[in-house]
Amino acid sequence: MNKGARISIVLVSAAVAVGLILFGIFGYLRTYPPTVVFTPSPTQPHTVDVTLQVDPDVGPGHAHPAWPGWFAKNAQGKWVQTTLYQVPERTYVHVTVYEYDSGGPLRNPIWGKVTGTVGNDVVLNGKTVSLLDAAQGFGVGHTIVAPALGLSVPVWGLSGTEKTFCQTGPCTLSNAHNVETFTFYTGNHPHNYRWQCFIPCGAGYLNGNGGPMATTGYMAGFWKVVA
Amino acid sequence: MAIDMTPAAGVGSPTDLEARGLKAAKPWFKGNMITALIGGGIGYAFGHWLGNAIASNYSVYVSSGQNEVAIYLSLIIGCLGWFIGLGALNYPIQKLLGLEPAEAPKSEKRTFWEHFTYSTDHKVVGVQYLFGMLLYFLVAGLLALGIRTELLSPVNHIWAPDTYIEIVGEHGTMMMMMMTSIVMGPFGNYLIPLMIGSKKMAFPRLEAASFWFTVPSFLILLSALWQGGFQSGWTGYAPLSIQGGPGQSDYDVAFALMALSMICASINMAATIINYRAPGMRWSRMPILSWGMITTAFTMLLSVPVLFDGLYVMSLDRGVRTAMLYAGHGGSSFLWENLFWFFGHPEVYLLALPGFAITVEMLPVFARKPVFALKTSTAGLIGVAVLSFFVWQHHLFMSGMNPDMRPLFMLTTELISIPTGFLYLVAMGTVWRGKIRFEVPMLFLLAVFWNFLWGGVTGVYNSDVPVDALVHGSFFVMAHFHFTIMGQLIFAVFAAVYYYTPLIFGIRLNDKLGKISFWIIFVAFNSTFLPLFMIGLLGQPRRVFEYAVRLQHLNQWVSISAYVLGFGILLYVINLIWSLAVTRTPSGPNPWESRGLEWQVGYPIPPDNFVKIPVVNRDPYGYGTGDDTPVADLDPVGDRAAVVTGGDA
Repeated sequence: MNKGARISIVLVSAAVAVGLILFGIFGYLRTYPPTVVFTPSPTQPHTVDVTLQVDPDVGPGHAHPAWPGWFAKNAQGKWVQTTLYQVPERTYVHVTVYEYDSGGPLRNPIWGKVTGTVGNDVVLNGKTVSLLDAAQGFGVGHTIVAPALGLSVPVWGLSGTEKTFCQTGPCTLSNAHNVETFTFYTGNHPHNYRWQCFIPCGAGYLNGNGGPMATTGYMAGFWKVVA
Repeated sequence: MAIDMTPAAGVGSPTDLEARGLKAAKPWFKGNMITALIGGGIGYAFGHWLGNAIASNYSVYVSSGQNEVAIYLSLIIGCLGWFIGLGALNYPIQKLLGLEPAEAPKSEKRTFWEHFTYSTDHKVVGVQYLFGMLLYFLVAGLLALGIRTELLSPVNHIWAPDTYIEIVGEHGTMMMMMMTSIVMGPFGNYLIPLMIGSKKMAFPRLEAASFWFTVPSFLILLSALWQGGFQSGWTGYAPLSIQGGPGQSDYDVAFALMALSMICASINMAATIINYRAPGMRWSRMPILSWGMITTAFTMLLSVPVLFDGLYVMSLDRGVRTAMLYAGHGGSSFLWENLFWFFGHPEVYLLALPGFAITVEMLPVFARKPVFALKTSTAGLIGVAVLSFFVWQHHLFMSGMNPDMRPLFMLTTELISIPTGFLYLVAMGTVWRGKIRFEVPMLFLLAVFWNFLWGGVTGVYNSDVPVDALVHGSFFVMAHFHFTIMGQLIFAVFAAVYYYTPLIFGIRLNDKLGKISFWIIFVAFNSTFLPLFMIGLLGQPRRVFEYAVRLQHLNQWVSISAYVLGFGILLYVINLIWSLAVTRTPSGPNPWESRGLEWQVGYPIPPDNFVKIPVVNRDPYGYGTGDDTPVADLDPVGDRAAVVTGGDA
């Protein structure tokens, strides 16, 4: 083999290697769920409305259709399966959560306490509450906990035997659901605030942890507070 | 006798497939990488189908959408298919059928494609290992750059937190798992028969298997990244590992395959060194690299099966929901911690021992002096190997172990600094007042002194319970083990690749590029890892993708240094590839003027290494002593030839 051929082989091999690396990095590792951007309306500059739903199964068309997960309504009114939400700093975020998943008792009742919201309470199906007693009713399904924001909001669950219990997301208002609203302040430090559901809801995984509990886009994500 | 290369008397005829109407099956009976990939693919698909047929209706799998039985079976049967495709089972199957398999003739001039086959030639396996290990190292190194890119900023993120921990786990596992063979694989397999005067390794098929286990192991481990990774990190602690997704099963199988590789390699290495030494190659004359290999081999043989057991237990917990590692159902996560670290701490010495050995092997060549206190260095190797089995619980200091056991393991850990000190002082004594030649390999070897000093001294502090309580899980510990492993082993390997390229390929690497790459690597390595001691003491934990804003500047310094380090290593690799594939400057037979037996056979090395079994006269380190007695008689005649044949000549 002459020198030119050897050079060609080395260079082609290097190009293939670089191509594979770029494919690996950008084709998969940098692939995240989309970020839904929430912006204030002109009439209420320091307020944004965020509408979310949490479903027992995110449904077909997603990487893990059998996992529970969160959807956010974007500016076009479309439900997007994601846990990445961008909101402005120095803003009151009005969150409406549609809970379509079943609940259960808490392993630690402290997770039923509401903290970090305006008034340290939530409005659950029209009634203001500051503590959800998971030993009653159908218990807590999920939580929205962002430690660096001091935010911890339990979301009241449904009975899994409801006649109109939603099977796959995104669910609609014709399915059985609870509605919970609350408001929190984003503060004046732009930052990506990690949030996580703390109720082990990874069915099929040991103690309910693992799987969706550890995966961005399902039960873990960010409140991206921007300037 | 053991060294006799005469094939056994045939007990049947060599298989003639065409005569039997099996022409189409011929590629399968010869084996190559294409049939291996096809076999692996078929096995994978069959295993998946079988797993789904067995367990797809289990409620636990329906809930999670993840059938572990299918995942394990697909990987295991896929690996079996890979070996069938390689032709690894041809020999035993033909033996079972009462046939005498035909041995492939060894060629004096090796071909490029020969390196993609299931070769039983130790020199081919050595080269396979060399490039395999470099590839694994570079991939794991790229992942390290991914980690450092994320840590450029505490606020702006390149990766999601789960992806970050996947990358950290992949980097750690790939380095710690695959690099156990970075000396024994390429240099042990290639050099040991030449060094001890043998025509081959004791078990060539085990030797081939040991390499070909690493390929599926690497591919499976890498594939974990595309399956959610394993968030337990390289240590695989339960219950995180039991909760993990399919990527954790990849970790499990990949590590088990690598364990099999290590077991095969170490059995072969120990058997070869014990049984295949040429006449005159007494234990006292044996090269220090051989001592390093045999101590490493025994350490592997005693520790790796324990890891394999642990992985088996983990796979049962994950696959069929036993609860051996899960306290909630009567098991114990301490079981895994003990099984893992009973392997895991000796493993640190599986990395360090060959590094020490190959450093001491090369130093006298460039210092032009005999090894200082050769027997002491041997004692150091044996001492480290033995003590390595009595220190593992220092990894559990902060895991809730019985506090009364801490002083014992603190003491044993500190004791290991004594035999380690032997090796360090032997190396220093060898260099002391030597006529040092500052060639590229020597530069890397001298850097080992500096790097290991940092790693070794901080190791003594880490072993103290009070200090460990303070720095546990921090970047301080991370900096410590990078100085001991990368600063020692990898620098020694860089020296060895440079040093042995003339012997293996007959080609000299470019000295100018070699020196430039050395200085970049050395400065950037220290610039990367020294600040990490500080960052760790300031409280930054490992495996967390966010950190305090006040540490950003230090982290940016480290990340930029890491990029420069990556560039230096890339330059080294470019030098290697370009010199071997393009410029091909002949090196001459013994460019470093080594007295080692391996350098006396000339290039190209004969197919069976030695035309006649040599008779060894002395150890190979007689530099500057005025004693020019050749290290071995390569053409023994008369009484000396009778020694070789046991008196039958």
